[in-house]
Amino acid sequence: MKNQRSGLVYSAPITLWLTLLFVAPTLIVIVYSFLKKGIYGGVEWIFSVDGYNFFSSSYFLKVVWNTVEISVIATVITVLIAIPTALYIATSKYKNFLLFLIIVPFWTNFLIRIYSWIALLGNNGLLNNLLMKLGLEPHQFIYNKFAVILVSVYAYLPYAILPLYSAIEKFDFAIIDAARDLGASKMKAYTKTFLPNIKPGVVTATLFTFIPALGSYAIPKLVGGNDSQMLGNIIARELTITRNWPKAAAISTILTIITVIFIVVLSKYDKDHKGGKV
Amino acid sequence: MNKKKFSLNIFILTLIFLYLPLVVLIVQSFNSGMGVAWDGFSLKWYDELFNHSARLWQSFRYSILIALTSAIISTAIGTLGAISLQWYSFKHKKYLQVISYLPLVLPDIIMGVSLLILFTSIKFKLGLMTIFLAHTTFNIPFVLFIVLSRLYDFDYSIVEAAYDLGATEKQALTKVILPNLMPGIISGLLMSITLSLDDFVITFFVAGPGSSTLPLHIYSMIKFGVSPIINALSVILIAGTIALAMSTKKIQKYMVN
Amino acid sequence: MKQGNIKINSISKSFDGVEVLKNISFEIKDGEFFSILGGSGCGKTTLLRMIAGFIEADGGAIYLGKDDITCLSPDKRDVNTIFQTYALFPHLTIYENIAFPLRLKKLNNIEIDREVKKYLEMVKLSEHANKYSSQLSGGQKQRVAIARALINKPKVLLLDEPLSALDAKLRQHMLIELDNIHEEVGITFVFVTHDQQEALSVSDRIAVMKDGEVLQIGTPSEIYESPANAYVANFIGETNFIEGKVVDIEGKFGYLESSNYGRIKFELDKEVVVGNFVKLTIRPEKVKISKSKPRYLDDNDNILNGKIEEMIYSGFQSKFFVTVGNNVGDKLFSAFKQHVDFFEEDAESIHWKDEVYVIWDSADSFLLEVM
Repeated sequence: MKNQRSGLVYSAPITLWLTLLFVAPTLIVIVYSFLKKGIYGGVEWIFSVDGYNFFSSSYFLKVVWNTVEISVIATVITVLIAIPTALYIATSKYKNFLLFLIIVPFWTNFLIRIYSWIALLGNNGLLNNLLMKLGLEPHQFIYNKFAVILVSVYAYLPYAILPLYSAIEKFDFAIIDAARDLGASKMKAYTKTFLPNIKPGVVTATLFTFIPALGSYAIPKLVGGNDSQMLGNIIARELTITRNWPKAAAISTILTIITVIFIVVLSKYDKDHKGGKV
Repeated sequence: MNKKKFSLNIFILTLIFLYLPLVVLIVQSFNSGMGVAWDGFSLKWYDELFNHSARLWQSFRYSILIALTSAIISTAIGTLGAISLQWYSFKHKKYLQVISYLPLVLPDIIMGVSLLILFTSIKFKLGLMTIFLAHTTFNIPFVLFIVLSRLYDFDYSIVEAAYDLGATEKQALTKVILPNLMPGIISGLLMSITLSLDDFVITFFVAGPGSSTLPLHIYSMIKFGVSPIINALSVILIAGTIALAMSTKKIQKYMVN
Repeated sequence: MKQGNIKINSISKSFDGVEVLKNISFEIKDGEFFSILGGSGCGKTTLLRMIAGFIEADGGAIYLGKDDITCLSPDKRDVNTIFQTYALFPHLTIYENIAFPLRLKKLNNIEIDREVKKYLEMVKLSEHANKYSSQLSGGQKQRVAIARALINKPKVLLLDEPLSALDAKLRQHMLIELDNIHEEVGITFVFVTHDQQEALSVSDRIAVMKDGEVLQIGTPSEIYESPANAYVANFIGETNFIEGKVVDIEGKFGYLESSNYGRIKFELDKEVVVGNFVKLTIRPEKVKISKSKPRYLDDNDNILNGKIEEMIYSGFQSKFFVTVGNNVGDKLFSAFKQHVDFFEEDAESIHWKDEVYVIWDSADSFLLEVM
């Protein structure tokens, strides 16, 4: 008979820590979103829904649209690249080595990876220099939607490849041969047997790309332009510059709710289709 | 084998995509000129980096300090938490499972914002301590899941054997459970150090004036365009990361034997 | 010293609404080699783990000697367990595995060394002291587990199907070793198994369990010769059943009329009256078959005519399945014949479809049930 009291002792530090430093702040944010903005920043303890008034702002709605658009496009591109890449690695003799090759760039500092694209895409960057050398006109590759999407794909690709690799590795490729044996064409065999069976991997890859993309801050800040500011940038601006805390809290709360809804929906989908846990 | 060739091509393109920017950085770090145009081979940016960047090295030291301390604390807390989830029942178990899963899926910015609001609302001064608290907080769930996945395959009968032979709970923990959990604990520790060293967004929100970590410093360098040193720094970091990765692989191989 | 006796008092346990142990009571004597035998799901492992302290009873009590240990945690019971997968500590050498209980008690190194070496010697693993469990064979691992459990000098040793992970030859060997160790150490052994051969060969007494109940407790020969019911009779070894209505009683014997075998004489192991329906069991090795009519028969022998329906050769013996009588339905009657018979005067070879006499002494049958 285990001493169940030990369960309490072992779980106490983590429960306390996460409650104080994760749950409590989240709750405070929700509370703040319903308070009135203080005159010099901060909040006044008066109930108000002013924080949620951003729906009237067309600029805000534009940014929401940008955020969703960029996140969706980046996720789709990322997953579409990740599937064949993971497939190749999983079916190769050198899978461990190839996996290692894919992961190594991932280990370099996040900001450095963003910066490297500035060096490439920038107005005085390598690409433009090359174009000018070839006698062509320089092009605006950076500080726009294109750059944000490109760099996002670059940043999140490993997050998509890993779970897909994991799912594909478990796939028994003999099923495809069986399908072909029974008369399916190569294309049909892949779409009808392979794709459905790696769905959990696809779901995870989508989750780990889309959610971080929604909350992007550094990428749009460093390589984005006026047409590609995202929710994260607005939150930061309201918090630090405009000092409209209730508004920042409100946007943050909305973002949290959207994320939670997505997770719940995706994990329910996963459960229904595979009968297992995410 | 159309499919095979197609995925091979995609793979090669992906590799090029992933490595190209890094190669550019490495090459540019040896470029004597300030711009992109090649002006001759030079090590002067490395010299600048190592000899004239005191503030940068200060922020690097802070990064290391915070990475090590937050990794140790979060590994200890996370490991005990994983053990409690795997082998014990207690009233708040479901609650703990939810709150340890959520931080992994919520975007960083939400955690950064909420911690900033927390600290300022209780008038806790922003500085190294707040960065440490923030880093430990986001590290704990990672450690938890790494150790938990090790516990799934853990042969519990050796723990029962320990009790059977007279061990108290504490003795079973220190003499049997932890020694056999070591690989998972080390993985958690390394993951925490990595995440902490790399973090930007959360640190950005909870750092105070004068408390800068390396990523924050890099960010301000990028914003203010002090470019060529960044190239040299990038190369050093890339090389260092690879060296670290290789050596941990060697250490793990050694430990298994 | 009556310290190593175990009293199980009205123990019951349910898991998820399913009754796994149904009000079990019995006693294990100090120093016995006691086996708990049963098929999977009968509750034997649950009972063992309850004695060890890993499962809490819903009701009832367990006594070790005079002490009520029902609520004690495993580390406080003077009982040690050999786990089915041995549960050796992978991060410690064999030496340290065996030393583990003593290190917990904080004995000094010299004492520990002396004791560990003694037990290493006892299980014949002295040269392997510095190896790790992954480097040992199954049999060696078990010996380490035994040494580790015994070094504590517990009053009782619990063995949870310790031989199931070994191959057949090794199992025999280890069983004999366990028996020897039991002789040497002298403490109570409680041995859980599903293999009736194992239980029969080494136990002082056996408890047969089914569906959470103890069907019978007795010595191996009691259980084999006088099974309590048809389940026990069939579970232990192989047997034949004969049912019929009692038509006559003559002193210590009775006669029954069986639809398949006709009039059968049997010994009255229990009280019956004419008109009872009874069930007999006869072990196959007590049933003799012969092509020529045996010369030395008496009143007490039952003799039937039959035809060999099936023969199974197993090296040292053969099993004969014989259809008897009017062959109403497929009633087969199995009998063993030792090949040693071939050296007798009237040794003969028996073939399929041969007509044979089937004979047994009515004292050799056992009256199972009066229905």
